[in-house]
Amino acid sequence: MSKIIAVHSYKGGTGKTSLSVNLAATFAKLGKKVALFDLDFRAPSLFAILKAEDSECWVNDYLNNTCEIDKTLMDLSSRLTGGGKFYASLANPATEAIRDMSSKDRKWEMRALGRLLSLKDSLLKEQGFDYIVFDTSPGLQYSSINAIVAADFVVVATTGDRSDVNGTKRMLKELYNLFEKKTGLVLNKVIDPSLTAKKAEIANNIKTTYQVPMLGVIPCFCEILRAEGNLIFVQDKPDHPFTKILSEMARKIENDEIS
Amino acid sequence: MVRDDLMIKKATNVLDKIEESLARLNEKMEVIIEIQRGGNEVTKSIPGLPDASLDVMTLLSMPDHLRKTAMTICRCNRATAEEVSKQTCRARAVESAYLNQLVIMGYVKKERRGRKAYFFIEKEIKS
Repeated sequence: MSKIIAVHSYKGGTGKTSLSVNLAATFAKLGKKVALFDLDFRAPSLFAILKAEDSECWVNDYLNNTCEIDKTLMDLSSRLTGGGKFYASLANPATEAIRDMSSKDRKWEMRALGRLLSLKDSLLKEQGFDYIVFDTSPGLQYSSINAIVAADFVVVATTGDRSDVNGTKRMLKELYNLFEKKTGLVLNKVIDPSLTAKKAEIANNIKTTYQVPMLGVIPCFCEILRAEGNLIFVQDKPDHPFTKILSEMARKIENDEIS
Repeated sequence: MVRDDLMIKKATNVLDKIEESLARLNEKMEVIIEIQRGGNEVTKSIPGLPDASLDVMTLLSMPDHLRKTAMTICRCNRATAEEVSKQTCRARAVESAYLNQLVIMGYVKKERRGRKAYFFIEKEIKS
C-alpha cells in the first residue's frame, strides 16, 4: 500500500538526510515509484547531496501555491539501477528563501499542511507513486510537524547521546502519540564493535526506553562519513552492511512488519 | 382515488418537513448537552477567534477528543458529521457536537446544503 513516510529526529546530526535519501533510493531500487521531499527549509541539503543545484521550481513554491507539484519533481531515476522511479522535490537553498520560509504566519502554515495532505491524492492516488519520503527539520518546527501530521508513518532517528534520548522520549509522548502516528525507531551511529552479538539486547533496550517498535540499528560506519555526502550509498555500495540494513528496513515498512 | 393519492403526497411532504425540523432540533440539542457536560470549559480554555487558524500548534494544544475530529476535517477538507464519524469510529451525534464546538471556536466553518450540514476549513486568503 502506498504511503507517506516522514523521517524526523529531536536533534540535528542524527543522520536524517542520509536515511531519507538511502531509504527512498532503496525503495526505487526495489522497483517502486518514489518521491523524496526536502522539507528542511532552515538548512536545505538535498540539492547538494543529489547534485541538483538548479531546479525550475522548488518545494517552497509548491507550498506558496505559486507552482504545481509536477514542476518541482526532478526525475533522477537514471542515477539508480533496479527499474524503479526516483524523483526529488528540493528546498530552495537561497538565503532569501530560507528567511522567507522562517517568517511565515499560522495561516500560511495551515495552508501548507493542506498542500502536504493533498499529495496523497495528487501523487499517490492520481500519479501512482508508491512512496513519498519527507526529510524534515529536527525538533518541533512548524514544517516538521506539518510533515508528521501529513505522514502515514514516521521514522524517528536517534543516537545514543543522552540529551537526544531524553528529547526523543519526550517527543514520542508529546508529539507522535498525540497525533496517533505509527512510528519506527532507528538507532543510528552506534559505536560498538560487538553490535551483531548485542542486536537482540539493543532491540529490547529500545523497546523498554522508548516504548515504540524498533525499525533498525545502524552502526557508525567510517565509510559513510568518509563519503562526505557524495554518494547515494545504497546505489554505489550495494554489498555494504549499511545497504543491507536499509533493505531490511524498507522490507519491514513495505510489509508493515514493524513490531 | 386521485384525491387519496394527493392526500398521501401532502401528508408525506408534511412528514418530511417535520423530520427535517426534528433533525435540526436534535443537532442543536446535542450541542447544548455537550456544552453542559463540560464542553464549555474546553471552549473557554481555548479562546477561538472568528477566523482562528487550525494549524499544527493549535491542533497540539487541543484536548484529545477535539483534536481527533479537527484532524479528520483537515484530512477530508469538507465532510458531514456522519463522514467524520465513519473515520473516527465514534457516534455521529458525538462528532456533530464536537464539530459544532469547533465552529463556535472559529476553527471550522459550517454550511447547510438541503438537509445536510457540511463542515470545512476555510483556507482561502481573504483580501
